[in-house]
This record gives sequence, structure tokens and C-alpha cells, in this order.
Amino acid sequence: MFFHIVLERNMQLHPRHFGPNLRDKLVAKLMKDVEGTCSGRHGFVVAITGVDNIGKGLIRDGTGFVTFPVKYQCVVFRPFKGEILEAVVTMVNKMGFFAEAGPVQIFVSNHLIPDDMEFQSGDMPNYTTSDGSVCFGAWLPLALNFCIGTIKDDFLGVINDPGAAA
Amino acid sequence: MSGEEDENAAELKIGDEFLKAKCLMNCEVSLILDRRYEQLQQMSDDPTNQVSQVFEKSLQYVKRFSRYKNPDAVRQVREILSRHKLAEFELCVLGNLCPETVEEALAMVPSIKTRGRTHEDEEIDKMLNDLSLIKKFE
Repeated sequence: MFFHIVLERNMQLHPRHFGPNLRDKLVAKLMKDVEGTCSGRHGFVVAITGVDNIGKGLIRDGTGFVTFPVKYQCVVFRPFKGEILEAVVTMVNKMGFFAEAGPVQIFVSNHLIPDDMEFQSGDMPNYTTSDGSVCFGAWLPLALNFCIGTIKDDFLGVINDPGAAA
Repeated sequence: MSGEEDENAAELKIGDEFLKAKCLMNCEVSLILDRRYEQLQQMSDDPTNQVSQVFEKSLQYVKRFSRYKNPDAVRQVREILSRHKLAEFELCVLGNLCPETVEEALAMVPSIKTRGRTHEDEEIDKMLNDLSLIKKFE
């Protein structure tokens, strides 16, 4: 689920950046350091939407670096246990299938796939129901860092293309 | 973190920080990320170099799974869902998945029926009908 939250971070800046564009350089460094990262608490930081406040800089003892506390707003993607969301199937094998929902990878083991769906191997591996009515499959490489999902519950499973549904 | 063992979105146990935070539907995120991408395009010649993989994947995802494309429709959806006593998280799950029947809605957001708020089935049904009307006239 996407959230819009306010986060704080202490940014360290080298003296060579001090000057009339200090604030811009600080914001640019913030974006470079934080966007695209992931933490257990807040999830993936997708994009920074604004900087609320930059506090007074503190010169660190012994070095010339200055630390600025920065408060910024950002869009994060944080999946929760028990959350229901839509995903795109990326890889299918007999252990289950991998899917992607935004930046997060999900693995659905075949134990958590309804019993009436069976794995079909071949050029385009997929899962099909016994009467061939429902089928999904896709083809893309693996990745690490994933969540576990299930489709063995009411109203879960293949959905129609949103454009086609009335 | 100790909170993670109790985490369960089905019961709306998502931690205080996220319960109080502003939740965004995929269609809203799509508008925000589009604007950001345009800003980047204006600032440099090659915006694809500047954005992280997380940004790209999220942008692709929300574009694909946005039920409503028109910004006015998106505003209306939020307005309709806000009329009922829903938590932000519940509101966004409904806005994203657009269930068609009350049964489906309750399966997707079981917490609607709990937590001491009584939502009559007719109320939920009316809310889902209003949502589907927006989709029709978008």
C-alpha cells in the first residue's frame, strides 16, 4: 500500500558544497541518498515530494562536515501482512510462482494455490484449472528480497484485464 | 521490531504510524509520480537516468492498476469513500480493488465489519454502486 509520510534524516554535507546553492545541493543529495531505498519500518521510498524543514547545521568535531536535520515528505510503498493487492506474474515454476507488485517481489508457493490449479511445464509454464478455464503464466528472471503471498482464498486469483471489465 | 509479529492488515493492525498516515490509492500515486517524472524531464535531457528502479517499477505498477484515470474522478472516489466511517487504509484498499459485491468487499477488507463500527450491508452496497457509477461516467 502506498503512503504519504513525513520522515526525518540527518544529512552530512562536505564544505565544498557551502555557498549560495547550499539548500539545493542538500535537497539533491537527499534525493540521491534516499529515493529507491528500502527499510523494514517504512518500506520502499518511491519518491520525495517535498522538503518541509531544514534545521540548523551542526559542525562535526574533528572534520569540516556539517550535519543538517532534514524533514521531508515522501511516497513510500509498505506492504503489510494480510494485505490484499494486485500483482503481475513474472515467473512460474512447479514450486509456485513469482509476482511483482510495484517494487516488491512476491512468491506464492504451490501450497497456497487452490488445489484445482495444476502446474503445466513447457515453453510457457503456467497454472491451469482441470477444465482449462483459468490459466496464468509469464516469463521473466528471478530476483531476491521477496514477500510471501497466497491465492487460496475467496475472490483471490486471476483477474480480468481492468480495461475489459465493465 | 516487536510490532511485526502482531501485524495484520485484515484486522487493521498496521501500527500507529501508518494508521494515522495519509494512505494513497494507485490512481493518486499515478498522478504524483507523473508530475515528478515531468519535472525531471524539464530539468534534464534523460530522465530515465535519474530515476531509481523502485520509481520506475512503481510508476509502471500504478499506471497499470489505476482504476480511474481522470483526476476529477479520483477526487470523487475519495470523497465518496470518505463519507463512510472508514480508516484511510480500508478506503484505499477499496479504491484500488473496486469490489463489485458486498461479499467481495468484506473478503478484501474484513476489518470493515469489526472494530465496533456497524456498517449495514445496504450501506456498503450503496457505496460500491456509487463507485461503479463514477467508473461508468469517467
